[in-house]
Amino acid sequence: MSGRIASLGFILAASILIAANADEAALAGEPFVYTQWETFYAQENGLPNDHIFSLKADGDRLWVGTENGLACYENGQWKSWTEADGLPWRVVSGIAVSKKTGDVWLGLFGGGVARFSAGRFDHFHQLNSGLVNDVVYGVTIIEDELWVATTAGTSRYNTVSGEWEIYTEKNAPMEEIWCYSIDSDPENKMVYIAVWGGGILEYDMESGRWTDHHDPDGEMEIDLYRDDGLIHIITTSVSFTEKVMWASTYFGLSRYDGRHWRGYMDHDSGLRSNFINFAKGRGANACYNCTDKGFSVLVDFESDAWVSYYKESEDAKQWTAKIQVGANEIHSRPIDLDLPNHHAIVCEFQGDDVWLGTGHGLARGKGVGYWPGLQKKTALAQPEKVEEGETP
Amino acid sequence: MNLKPTLFVFMALAFCFTTLAWTDDEAPAGPKYGDTPAEYVPFGKFTKPYKEFFLEPLEYTGYGRRIPEPKGLKTVRIGFIGPIESTVSVATGGMSHEEPLGVQMLQGARLAIEKANAAGGYRGQMPFELMVHNDNGLWGASGSEIIDMAYNEKCWAVLGTIDGANSHIAIRVALKCEIPVMNTGDTDPTFIETNIPWVFRCVTDDRQMCYLLADYVFKELGLTRVAALRAGNRYGRMSIDEFRDAAKRLGYPFLAELQYPVGSDDMRPQLKRLQVINPEAIITYGDARESALLLKQMREMGMEQWLIGSDRMVTDEFYEIAGDAVLQGKVAAGYPFDPTRDDPKWLQFREEFQNKFNAIPGHFAAHSYDGMNMLIDAITQAGLNRALVRDQLTKIKTYHGVTGQKVFDAVYTNRSPATLALLENGTFQIYTQDEIFD
Repeated sequence: MSGRIASLGFILAASILIAANADEAALAGEPFVYTQWETFYAQENGLPNDHIFSLKADGDRLWVGTENGLACYENGQWKSWTEADGLPWRVVSGIAVSKKTGDVWLGLFGGGVARFSAGRFDHFHQLNSGLVNDVVYGVTIIEDELWVATTAGTSRYNTVSGEWEIYTEKNAPMEEIWCYSIDSDPENKMVYIAVWGGGILEYDMESGRWTDHHDPDGEMEIDLYRDDGLIHIITTSVSFTEKVMWASTYFGLSRYDGRHWRGYMDHDSGLRSNFINFAKGRGANACYNCTDKGFSVLVDFESDAWVSYYKESEDAKQWTAKIQVGANEIHSRPIDLDLPNHHAIVCEFQGDDVWLGTGHGLARGKGVGYWPGLQKKTALAQPEKVEEGETP
Repeated sequence: MNLKPTLFVFMALAFCFTTLAWTDDEAPAGPKYGDTPAEYVPFGKFTKPYKEFFLEPLEYTGYGRRIPEPKGLKTVRIGFIGPIESTVSVATGGMSHEEPLGVQMLQGARLAIEKANAAGGYRGQMPFELMVHNDNGLWGASGSEIIDMAYNEKCWAVLGTIDGANSHIAIRVALKCEIPVMNTGDTDPTFIETNIPWVFRCVTDDRQMCYLLADYVFKELGLTRVAALRAGNRYGRMSIDEFRDAAKRLGYPFLAELQYPVGSDDMRPQLKRLQVINPEAIITYGDARESALLLKQMREMGMEQWLIGSDRMVTDEFYEIAGDAVLQGKVAAGYPFDPTRDDPKWLQFREEFQNKFNAIPGHFAAHSYDGMNMLIDAITQAGLNRALVRDQLTKIKTYHGVTGQKVFDAVYTNRSPATLALLENGTFQIYTQDEIFD
C-alpha cells in the first residue's frame, strides 16, 4: 500500500512540474484578446429588444433574433421588424440565410418558421405545413433544404419541391425527440443536431445514415471518465467546422475530431461555467462558448489556451479578460466592454469580429489585428506606425 | 528553471503522500446526489467518477432581477398545465391516460388559489388567477402552452405537469422564457437532472421510491429473481430505471424486461413468457388501469408472485379493475408521502378537499396544493418579478405542507423519504421506512 501511495505522490508531483512547464511553454505565445467592444441596446440603438436569442452573419449584414423582434445591422444602420411589421411571432430563436436565394429563414420560438424574402414574411407552422412543432430552437440550410430543430423532433423542408419530412424517434435514433440546436456542413452535406437527452446526432444527406453520440457512462449524475465521449446526454448546441465537432452541454464542453473526444469543465479548463448555452467552433482548434458566467473561448486546442470575458462582480462596470492555460490563470486585464450582465446566450463571427448576444444587450468585439491560435510574444510588439515617405 | 526549490516541493509532496494518505476504504464518502445509498451509487464498486453533478445549488445569472414590476395589473396570474381533458392520442384510443391524475392536480391547485384569495390575495391588493391549460401530450404541445403562459398571459410562475416527456419539454421552454416551474406530479428522476435553474419539484420522485422498493424486495423479502413487465412509454422506461440499476448493483439483474403498449387490455402473452422463467417478483411501472389488469391476469393464470409497482397503483381505479385479485395481497408500491398521518394540516386539507370535490384527495391533489401554495408564498414575498420569485423558491430548504415535511436538495427537488404501500386485505396500507425495516 505504501509503495502505491508513494507512486501516486510522485506522479502528482511530476504532473505539477509538467503542468508548470506546459504553462511556461504556452506563455511563449499569446492569444488574441478582444479589447475593443461596441455595445447595442434597444433604447439607444435600433434593436427591437435587448434579450438576444439568435445571430447570423451574412456578408456585411448581421441578423439578430430577439425576444421581441428581428433586426438587421448593415453599414452602421439598424432595421427592425416586429409583429406589427408582419413578423409572425415575436421570439426569433434561429436564423439561416440561403446562399442560393438570399432568403432569410427564421426559427420562431413558439411560432414555427418564417421565410423573409423581398420584404415579406411567409409563415410555416404545424397547421399549414409539415413542421413537426412550432417551438423552434434552431434552423440551418443546405442548398435547397431547410432543417428545423424543434422541441418535438426535426423537420426538413425542400424549398423547391415543397416537400416536408419529419424525424422523430420513429425514424431516427432519437432517444428523446427534444432537438435543441442544429448545424450543418454544406460541403459534405452533413447535418448535426444537439438533442436534449439524446446526445448529438449526425445525418449524412448523401447516404441517409444517422450516427449518434451519447454519454458513454449512461448516468445523469456523473461523468465517469474525462475523455471517454460526450460529457452528458443533455446537449445544448453543436457546431461542426474543419472536421471537428464541438458540443456544448449544461455540464461542460466536448470536442470530437472523429477519433478522439476531449472534455472540458470549469474545474479543469478555462471555461467560466459548465452551463453552456451555445458553442461555436472557429476552426478545429478554437471554440467560443456562451456560458451563464461569461464568454469563454478556447483559443488554441493544442496548448489548452483560453480567454474568458466576464464581469468580476455584479457591480463591476467593465468586463475582464482572463487568459488561462487549462485551469491556470496566466493574467487578466480589463477591457472596454460594459454590458450589464454576462449571461451569454449566443455568438457569431463576422470576419475577424465576434458578436455576443446576452440576456440584456448585444456586443461586437472588434478583431483589429486578429490572429487565430497563439502568436509568439515577440511578434506581439505593435509595429510603429510609419507614414509613407518617412524613415522609421 | 531553478531546480532546487522544485526538488524541495517534490520531496515535500512525496512525504505528505506517504504519511497522510488514506486507503480506499477510508476515503471520505461525501454527500451523494439523491441520497443514493452507497450500494446503489453508479460504478461505486469500481471507481470514483471524474465529476459528480447536482451537488451544488443551481444559479441563475441572468438579467431578469432588474426587470421592473409592471403597473396596472388586475390579477396575479399563475399558470397551470396538466392532463385534464381527453386527447386524440391513438395510443390510448382517444383517452388521456393521465386524465384522472390531472383532474386531481387541478383540484388541488384550485383549492390553494381559492384559499389564498379568501385570505386577501396578492398582498391584499388583487386576487391570484389560475390560467388553466390542458397538457394535450401530442407533438410536444406542452411547449406551446408554456410559451402562451409566459408571453401572452404573462404568468408569474407555472405549475405542472405529469407526463415525463411533456414536463421535460415544458421546462426547456421555461428556461428560455425565464419563468419558474413547480412540478408536483412528474416522478421521473431525470426531470430535475437537467441543470435548469428555473425548475422545482415538491413530490418525492421515483429515484427515492425505487430505492425503497429495491430495499424491500431484495433486503426485506430476500428475493433475487425479479422480472419487469412495464408500460412501453417513457414513464415505464425511465421511472423503473433506478430499480433496474439497484437490482443490477446488488447482483440481481432483471431476468427479463418486457413491455406492453399503453392502453393494452391483455398482458397474458407477456405473462406466459415470464411464467417460463418463473421470477419471484414482477415489477411494473404503468398507469393504474394497466397495473390492475396485470395483477388480475397474473392471478387468473395462477401466478402468485409478488407484484411490485408504482404510486399510480394506489388508487380506487386500481381496486375497481383488479377486483378480487386485490384480496390475495403480495403487492407493494412506492408512494410519495404518508396519508395516514395525524398531522392537523393534512387532516384539514383532506376535509376541505372532500367538502369541495366530494372525493378523497390522492397524492396528485395533495402535492399540487402544496406546490401551488409554495408558488403563492414565493410570489407574495418576492413581488412581481419572475427571477425574484425563482430566487425565493430556491430559499426553501424545508417546507411543511399537507403532504408532510419536504426537504429540498441542491437542485430544488424534494428528497423527503418515500413510503411503502402494501396491499393488505384488499386495500393499500401505507408504511414508513422505519415501520418496514424495523
